[in-house]
Amino acid sequence: MNKELEHNFVELLEKHQNIVHKVCRLYTNNYDAHNDLFQEITIQLWKAYPKFRGDAKFSTWMYRVGLNTAITLYRKSKRSITTQDYSDVQFKISAEAYDDTEEQQLKLLYNAVRQLNDIEKALVFLYLEDKNYNEISETLGISEVNARVKMNRIKTKLKTILNP
Amino acid sequence: MDELELLKKDWQKDDNNYPKKSYNEIYKMILKKSSSIVKWIFIISILEFILWAGISYALKDADYNQRFKEYHAESIMTPLMILGYVVIAYFLYRFFMNYRTISVTDNAKILMENILKTRRTVKQYVAVNLGLMIVSAFIVLGIQFNRDEEMISIVEKASANGELFKFYAVTIIITLLVLALIVGILLLFYYLIYGILLKRLNRNYKELKKLEV
Repeated sequence: MNKELEHNFVELLEKHQNIVHKVCRLYTNNYDAHNDLFQEITIQLWKAYPKFRGDAKFSTWMYRVGLNTAITLYRKSKRSITTQDYSDVQFKISAEAYDDTEEQQLKLLYNAVRQLNDIEKALVFLYLEDKNYNEISETLGISEVNARVKMNRIKTKLKTILNP
Repeated sequence: MDELELLKKDWQKDDNNYPKKSYNEIYKMILKKSSSIVKWIFIISILEFILWAGISYALKDADYNQRFKEYHAESIMTPLMILGYVVIAYFLYRFFMNYRTISVTDNAKILMENILKTRRTVKQYVAVNLGLMIVSAFIVLGIQFNRDEEMISIVEKASANGELFKFYAVTIIITLLVLALIVGILLLFYYLIYGILLKRLNRNYKELKKLEV
């Protein structure tokens, strides 16, 4: 692989890295696992990059590779055993604009989302990223109608987790 | 109010809370090796091909097989051997064709299906080999009963003692037990290796399939 390709890729990924971080945040529970998944997604993105064509947006392409890595290709590393959970160290929810109850509610919401299964998380992720159902259905390989139906079920499921 | 809307608002604004990776950190990452299940499936599959090809190669040179020359059973053994090579060539070809279609940029369902298809090819390869092994074992047994002088004299003795049926029954049962043991060990091996490796994929694939009904 030539240097220019490497340079372009690393620069693009550095700029768009939040997408990868967000996937990791949903699919892992601690800092080490987060880094481990981040690395695997980076490798998969890099391996697929020579075939990346400008006709898709780099970010859109990243959603697909990132989610595919998280729900299909990734094997949990053995290294991630002895670390603290996110809630203690990482990703403190930015609280400036919220009062306590809203912050509390957000914490509960994040915890509820973590209890969903891998596919449900993928739908929630794309939903939170403001993707439309057409894009969601194309990324996961299900029909648009089924994506909608599933999303509604997930909303109900989240409600049940939050108000048992 | 929709809880997810609240979450979305927060999700989209907390971009700065992530442990940012620098250019150099990302650069170092792309030099590292992947540990994805596709890589492991590839390695294990190739090992399976080598293992079975190795088994038939080892048997070819064994003393046991040399003795076979005395039986003049080439008309049976040569086609069996050729069949073995054709099987390897056919499945290797299919394996590589399937493997090449695995692309991380496909949608999730197609990606999972392509990985499972690759797996299935290797599974069929092993099943065919097991079948061939069982068939060969019985053919070899049959040849020995008919052409091996030692065996013929044992059969004659047994026959003279009126224990011919018992002799055949014991031989066949022992052969079956040995074959069952080999199949059992392989199945256990499969269950462990692929059970662990494909657990997540199978679970998620099932979940996606469930959405379609």
